[in-house]
Amino acid sequence: MDDGRLSVQVAQKVLIPLDAAFECGPGELLALTGPSGSGKSTLLRCVAGLERPARGRIACAGRVWLDTRRRVNASPQQRSVGLVFQQYALFPHLTALGNVTAALGHRPRETRNARARELLASVHLAGLEERRPAQLSGGQQQRVAMARALARDPQVLLLDEPFAAVDRVTRQKLHRELAELRRTLAMPIVLVTHDLDEAAMLADRMCILHRGRTLQIGPPHEVMTRPADALVARLVDLRNVFEGVVRGHDAATQRTVLDWHGVTLDAAHAPSFAPGARVAWTIPMSAIVLHRRDRPSRGEHENPVHGTVQECLALGDDTTIGLRVAGARDALLTLRVPTHVARRNGIAVGVPAGASLLAEAIHLMPWRDAVSEGAG
Amino acid sequence: MDWQALALSLKLAAWTVALLLPVGIVVARALAWRRFAGRRLAEAALALPLVLPPTVLGYYLLSAFGARAPLGRAFEALAGHPLAFSFAGLLAASLVFNLPFAVQPMQRAFEAIPADVRPAAACCGMSPWRIFTRIELPLAWPGVLSALVLTFAHTLGEFGVVLMVGGNIPGETRTIAIAIYDRVQAFDASAAGLMAAVLLALSLAAIAIAYSTATRAEPYRG
Amino acid sequence: MHAPAAVASTRCGFAGYSAVVIYEGIRRPVRSRRAALAAALAYAALTAAAPVPGADVPNVAAASDLQFALPAIAAAFKRASGRDVRLSFGSSGNFRRQIGQGAPFELFLSADASYVESLARERWSADDGVVYAIGRLALFVPQGSPIEPDPELRGVAAALADGRLRKFAIANPEHAPYGRAARQVLMRAGLWAAIEPRLVLGENISQAAQFAVGGAAQGGIVAYSLARSPALAGRGRYVLLPAADPDPLVQRMVLAKRAGATARAFYEFLQQPAARAILGRHGFQVP
Repeated sequence: MDDGRLSVQVAQKVLIPLDAAFECGPGELLALTGPSGSGKSTLLRCVAGLERPARGRIACAGRVWLDTRRRVNASPQQRSVGLVFQQYALFPHLTALGNVTAALGHRPRETRNARARELLASVHLAGLEERRPAQLSGGQQQRVAMARALARDPQVLLLDEPFAAVDRVTRQKLHRELAELRRTLAMPIVLVTHDLDEAAMLADRMCILHRGRTLQIGPPHEVMTRPADALVARLVDLRNVFEGVVRGHDAATQRTVLDWHGVTLDAAHAPSFAPGARVAWTIPMSAIVLHRRDRPSRGEHENPVHGTVQECLALGDDTTIGLRVAGARDALLTLRVPTHVARRNGIAVGVPAGASLLAEAIHLMPWRDAVSEGAG
Repeated sequence: MDWQALALSLKLAAWTVALLLPVGIVVARALAWRRFAGRRLAEAALALPLVLPPTVLGYYLLSAFGARAPLGRAFEALAGHPLAFSFAGLLAASLVFNLPFAVQPMQRAFEAIPADVRPAAACCGMSPWRIFTRIELPLAWPGVLSALVLTFAHTLGEFGVVLMVGGNIPGETRTIAIAIYDRVQAFDASAAGLMAAVLLALSLAAIAIAYSTATRAEPYRG
Repeated sequence: MHAPAAVASTRCGFAGYSAVVIYEGIRRPVRSRRAALAAALAYAALTAAAPVPGADVPNVAAASDLQFALPAIAAAFKRASGRDVRLSFGSSGNFRRQIGQGAPFELFLSADASYVESLARERWSADDGVVYAIGRLALFVPQGSPIEPDPELRGVAAALADGRLRKFAIANPEHAPYGRAARQVLMRAGLWAAIEPRLVLGENISQAAQFAVGGAAQGGIVAYSLARSPALAGRGRYVLLPAADPDPLVQRMVLAKRAGATARAFYEFLQQPAARAILGRHGFQVP
């Protein structure tokens, strides 16, 4: 069935280890995220046909591009991919128009020029057709690379950290343009980025990679607040990952009771964990509410914890606070508040403070020894 | 002024350039982009003619081309005359001792192409031949041209190897460099001086072209 | 003979190749027009200087002492028969070696009989050839040299003794007959041991004369035919040395077995009175 879907499974042990599988539907944007060296670019190049994994199967729009078991391996020219490289890889000796026209070989000769101009206009580069790459700014070069990738009428659009080389203002502009462009594109888009915020902003689904393995795939919000295990939690920059023991479940209140080194917490309902099971748990910083120090506690707070401020780091408008929680084996809870709030509450190192942990946001994960080591 | 010798020199240089253009490009691309065992050794072997004295080169080439060697005998069977002391022998020797002059500048030029440009061209749907003619060659052209001009100039001036492998046979192996030597020995200083001046002018022109094309590569780099 | 077919096919191949290059060049603007022009020039250069097939112009190897005599004889030959020969001059020993390696000479005028004899033994020639001249030695001193030339080399001995003689030129005794003869002369005069460290060796007798004339050496033993030639006139003084003994410079010439008609005709011509007269005028003893 040809629905334009991209499906990828690759595996290899040597050179760059890979063990990845993902799918991307037409019109969907999948972000491949992970630390450097996690094999994201390699995966993209495998999809494009520039590299060949030891084992795997890659199919797009009903056509099999790679199947190592059946010795099928289409060359990049035979596949129909549009790839925007990290450094854009524009042809330095051709103009912007020439660069885009180079990818229009599949169209009749008379239509190429007009189509190239149309593409350049769609990326807001009308009027700059005759410039060489050396005469264009970073953002303009990226747009030419995008136009060239689209010129191929590709069945999948691959973007390899396309926004990494530009400044923040340009990057935000390019983000908006990509979001706009997406409305007109019907193909799957795979975006490789190490920037979690970018992935969260642009992607419909996010795929977390670590050392070539796909750890979790899902909508960004889900991956970043309900990671599959402690490793994923660390990879999505969740600072608060701790150890706990399940006490019991309460179906009526939809809560699971968790014991955190002596501190009792109500967590989001997670019936799959048996009572007595050792778990890892996490909570995003946004779900930790600092108690106001001028108003004494009236006991209505959810999951209140108390402790002493260990770290207090003001970075611009936000202050990151590290709270050493009393009773929870001195675990360090990290939360973030606006700087003016911190100042108003007199937060400083050594000061006692309290915070509430929103129950619904406490997410339980299976305990895996090697992976959960280091959880507090 | 020995016009025949000058024509012979130009002919030798032109043939050498014509044959080393495809050979040099193939070898240079392979050395620039392929990783294979023994690559460094191959590069070193290629550079040998740059450091070996012409007499060493000439000695080995003569041993290989002589009437008693397999190569010489095979050639003689095909062509009816020996490889040494013939234009063909000079050309074969010229191809060997010019190889580094042809390959090294070309290799540098191909290496200078940014690493992702060729994969990008492949993703644009360009066949390997189109990538070569539309992307690689235009980008590497100043280096390729520089290599060809240097090869041309070097061949014009080569003396030691030509003398050992070619002898001094007028019309066949008496190149202009040999002719100058010959005229000096015949106490014909004016002829020798004239030919030397012509050779100097040609070499200077070649070097000037080579250097100016090498620097013209810069406009593409941002 | 495969040669004409090979030449023709390579010419066609190259014409095709340059046609492609020129066509590609014309399709692209400016820079490529220059490339096309260059390709056209290259094609012209490549096919120029091709030996005219079919013409019988033999290659003649001659000892360097014939540098001036032989072109005169060749000119006379041309006037008499209308035919050309191609002359190459060098050391007899070198030619002997090159001929052994297959160099395409049809006639060899050696300055030493033994080289001709060894070629005959190798069956390069049909016979032992003939003696065409007896070479003679001269002591040559350039302008401003401190040596007084005399046939017994007494001037040389004196200059050697008091250190005025720093360099002395002869041809290389290893492969040049005149060099060998010069060594014999110096040995006979008892000067060899003293003079050997001061020798500059010419590749052939012409180069030895170069060194003597150029002033790099204070004197040298050169071919009489060279010393008397107009090229050296006024550049210095010379004196004829007694005939070399026991090996006089018997100059033998011989035809290759495969020699063509013109080479044979030239061989005959060299034995005629006209040619011998020219040799005599240039200082050779004719048998």
